[in-house]
Amino acid sequence: MQKQSEEKNSWSSRSIGSDWQHQVFYLAIKLGGRRAAYFMLYFVVAYYVLCRPLARERASHYLSRRFPRRYGLKRLWHCYLLILEFGKVLVDRAVVGILGPESFHVSLDGREELLKLRDENHGMILMTAHVGCWQVAMSVLEFLQRPVNMLMRHEDGDVDRHYYEHAGIPCPYQTIDPAGYLGGTLEMMGALKQGQIVSVMGDRLLGSDKSNTQVDFLGGQATVPFSAYKIASATGAPIVVFFTRKDGPKSYHLQLTKVIRVPQIKGRSAEAFNPFAQEFAEALEEFSRRNPYQFYNFHNMWSRPQSQTKPTDEES
Amino acid sequence: MDIKEKLKQGLIEELNLEDVTPDEIGDDDPLFGDGLGLDSLDAVELVVVIQKHFGVEIKDMEEGRPALQSISTLAAFIKEKQQE
Repeated sequence: MQKQSEEKNSWSSRSIGSDWQHQVFYLAIKLGGRRAAYFMLYFVVAYYVLCRPLARERASHYLSRRFPRRYGLKRLWHCYLLILEFGKVLVDRAVVGILGPESFHVSLDGREELLKLRDENHGMILMTAHVGCWQVAMSVLEFLQRPVNMLMRHEDGDVDRHYYEHAGIPCPYQTIDPAGYLGGTLEMMGALKQGQIVSVMGDRLLGSDKSNTQVDFLGGQATVPFSAYKIASATGAPIVVFFTRKDGPKSYHLQLTKVIRVPQIKGRSAEAFNPFAQEFAEALEEFSRRNPYQFYNFHNMWSRPQSQTKPTDEES
Repeated sequence: MDIKEKLKQGLIEELNLEDVTPDEIGDDDPLFGDGLGLDSLDAVELVVVIQKHFGVEIKDMEEGRPALQSISTLAAFIKEKQQE
């Protein structure tokens, strides 16, 4: 636990690449479009995978659970594919901003259900994860006609730009800073009470250790936050588990995966909210099994050493 | 029982503050951080407690931040809302 805590404190979402490296990709997109940037990506990713141990280390947390029987060159190949797909998502995000949203086709499953949930007037907690491209999800939620509030931090040193920054348009969602007053909980509750949408990452640790719980995930015990479930319990807001995946060179698919209803629960014990976090973890595990190279949480979610985790059956 | 005493009692019961008595909670002690030591999740519960026991809703951050400083500020907020 101590080791995990140290890793959590030392981990940040700061970009690995420098500002000028990002600029080169933006220029490639402007001059040659998405394909030109993808072409460069194959070589850049190879460099990072072969020459930058930090990139391999970050990817290994997930890969060692998702492909526990793959070592050596096979692990390296999985690492390459994972980071390549991640790079494509970053390129796509920039393409949407630079060349316009029409550059991609986005399909959505669950539109009618989302409208019904909106009309319950308890607000809606949109729980996503570091998979696919969540910014794509944000960009197509306009049909709900409700303000979207995103719990997120933009750390110093993060030179990566969001699609709206490329496009020079106002940020389409409000941001709530988890490092702000009381972790942003009052802001989240206020937004939900007004029937708004609050988007959170179900797989990202942001608060104190007292707000975390352990769930079974990819054969090990992973640590996830449970604050969102507590807020859902207090406000009556449904939790909508929503994942995006890249399903083609120029297309993304958004899937309403699950709706989690949290009843009123007194107190704040992790045990009380654990079953709901487990529901989310199961949905996320199913996603990672179907889309093994679209899981981009490079933080070590697992608290136990690899030797104590059960291997997963699927290694396809 | 006045609002402050009722608040202290409610805090202890609903937030499961073990080994704390109402007398040990100072009216002006900070509720979060160094004072009573509550955190962001306790804040969620506190908002629910205030609504349940006093019928007062903390709607947003603008209302909540000044109100949730101490028992005194919270009591004043509740009194003001009940008089509206």
